[in-house]
Amino acid sequence: MRYPRRIGQLAAAALLVATSLTACGGDDGGTAGAPKAPADIPELTKEPLTLSFIWFDWPPAKALEAFANAEYTKERSNVTVKVNVVPNANWHDAMFTQFAARKTDFDIPILDSQHIGEAVTNGNILDITDFVKKNIDVNAYNPYLLAAYGQFPQAETGQRDENASLYGLPLLGDTWTMIYRKDLIGETPPATWDEMIAAAQKCQTENPGVSGLAFHQANGSDAAAVTYNTVNGVYGGNLWDSKARKIEGVINDAAGQEAMDVLVNKMKPLTAAGSGNWFIDEVNAAVAQGKACIAFNWIAASGGLLDPEQSTLGKTREEILQKLGFATLPKQKTDLVPLGGMGMHVSAYSSPEKQAEALNFMKWFEQADIQKKWAAAGGVPARTDALSSPEFLNAGPFNKVYADSVSRMRDMWNVPEYARLIDIENTNVNAALNGAKDPKTALNDIAKEQQAVLDSAGKKGGGGL
Amino acid sequence: MSDPVSLTDHPVQEASSTPPAPGRSRHLSDRWLTVAFISPALLLLLAMSVFPLLWALYLSFTDYSATRGGPATFVWFENFTAILTSAQVHLRAFTTLLYVVGAVTLQTVLGFSIAYLISRRVRGRGVLTTLFLVPMMLSPVVVGLFWRFMLDAQFGVINSMLGSIGLGQVEWLTKQNTALISLIVVDTWQWTPFIMLIALAGLTAVPKYLYEAASIDRASEWFRFRTITLPLVWPLLLIAVLFRAIEAFRLFDLVYILTSGGPGVSTETLSFHVYKVAFLGFNTGTASAYGILMVLIVIVLAQLYMRYLNKLKED
Repeated sequence: MRYPRRIGQLAAAALLVATSLTACGGDDGGTAGAPKAPADIPELTKEPLTLSFIWFDWPPAKALEAFANAEYTKERSNVTVKVNVVPNANWHDAMFTQFAARKTDFDIPILDSQHIGEAVTNGNILDITDFVKKNIDVNAYNPYLLAAYGQFPQAETGQRDENASLYGLPLLGDTWTMIYRKDLIGETPPATWDEMIAAAQKCQTENPGVSGLAFHQANGSDAAAVTYNTVNGVYGGNLWDSKARKIEGVINDAAGQEAMDVLVNKMKPLTAAGSGNWFIDEVNAAVAQGKACIAFNWIAASGGLLDPEQSTLGKTREEILQKLGFATLPKQKTDLVPLGGMGMHVSAYSSPEKQAEALNFMKWFEQADIQKKWAAAGGVPARTDALSSPEFLNAGPFNKVYADSVSRMRDMWNVPEYARLIDIENTNVNAALNGAKDPKTALNDIAKEQQAVLDSAGKKGGGGL
Repeated sequence: MSDPVSLTDHPVQEASSTPPAPGRSRHLSDRWLTVAFISPALLLLLAMSVFPLLWALYLSFTDYSATRGGPATFVWFENFTAILTSAQVHLRAFTTLLYVVGAVTLQTVLGFSIAYLISRRVRGRGVLTTLFLVPMMLSPVVVGLFWRFMLDAQFGVINSMLGSIGLGQVEWLTKQNTALISLIVVDTWQWTPFIMLIALAGLTAVPKYLYEAASIDRASEWFRFRTITLPLVWPLLLIAVLFRAIEAFRLFDLVYILTSGGPGVSTETLSFHVYKVAFLGFNTGTASAYGILMVLIVIVLAQLYMRYLNKLKED
């Protein structure tokens, strides 16, 4: 009898069709563009609530969770703040795969400034323009900081477009600091990039076993790309012409080529063997173990350098500070420094009560006294009054470096194609630094491949290769 | 002796004609029971394996992006054409080929050699086999992480050992010519035991009387290995090679942990590239086509390989 077999086949086919239809029906993300947050904070729940953040695993994430649970709960005792962390290399994927599922286990994604375009275009985060107008004193900020961590489309370097929409507020400011060994190269930090290279060269020659320089070279995250972009900026180069969406011929112009030459042929030879995959932790380790004369790292990740338990440079913080100095980056043709740090945003897929709580948290966090407390707790605030406050300036020897660097900052591209642009630059700069590609070829490849990514926006089929 | 085939020729029909056991519902025939027992597994297979594959096949003909959402527009074979003509893909395919050939060859030679040596021991064979199997039981991520520390040019134990015998520092993970070799070595460290295990099973199954007959004929060790051991173990070894080649072809975890595909993209394998296409730009349609093509390549090569194996068996 064949009847049951047919039934089985039909049942399997029906099941497959049903599953397919369910999956098709589940895609409700057809509309692009960010939904709007209300101007006024809706009524907050009195029930116990956990407000979840997502960030990558580094000291500021731990500092934020401790700070928020200690301070925010004074105002909202029913709220627990949880900062979920992922490895830095998975940070973008961890957030955007959840955005893709249209369901997030976080309420406040902490996006890199360059992630905003992708999140806004896909409608993953709330448009908080009206909320900001009504609840935040925008004049308390350096306009570029407010723009960098919240505005889309991207602002011109150093400016803010007051007519543009805002999708986030600053959480943690950051830039690179130059860390130098005062006991090896002297109390006064090098003022120019050329002087810095000369000092590193001299220090390396005079101190066998200590490398002249340590900086980010890895091909994960944005490590090697930020290094090149920094040198590019200092030597007067540009990453792109944002208005014309042009990269080819811009990043690889004469200034860009000079920057790549300086990086690969003058700076790289002064680094330790095998440092071609170094990022934040490895650079810090080299400094803490006394293996580098001059190093570059993000300020927000530099706190551990003063911990005697992690350092061979001294048994106390004071002893370490007798050997380590922190300075703003040397100038050359320009004084540009890289903009780091991140903003807070509200997930479009959180429940209304959690979105309301997230907005309330943001309003609370941006108050002047809270920003100063955040500075004292190890954070890097964005409000101008907090940046010039003793709470911030006395909290760490590198904080003044940040305050002095704010007016010099430049960001990368804040466009939906950011993840691919940074990968192209990272892999090519990493290849040049490790001898897998000729520096000039690497830079020309960056220009060509990045331009192709920008030009292919909207092209059907084969994208992403 | 009766023909056993005649008893099991139509087992289902035989079973269905059997009256239900006492106490069982009249409507609950053996066939329905079979369906009831198979359904959960079938459901799981359809939901977790068959449906995703068919869904990926559908997406591979579209320009769908998981993050952008919206309707999937059919682009027909454009994704496939773009992948097959992309110089970037060709580069990753070549890297993957080098890796698969290097790793599987090394593992086969080492695995078989270790198995041959172990098979000749009588005492301690079980303990030795267990010890050799330990690497295979570890997570590739854990293996990648501790090898990353061991291969670190500055602080790694490998360079420290090389230094102690007067050799210079080697940049294992950051130089183009050593990074791929490092990946092959780490993969070999972890997966040689797999080949060893299969080869050991084959070697143990070789009938002893063949060796005894060869001894009577005063055959040399090499002659016995060449004419008895190798031909009898060869088919089993080739199956192990097939499994390992398929595994190596989709290598991702070790690359991700050890080199991130670097320096540059010189150790980026096809799987790692698919990951980037899928999750950096969220080009879901292209990534699906890429994945489908990889599956097709594995199926075609495996089929050719199986045909060779069958021919070998017939011969």
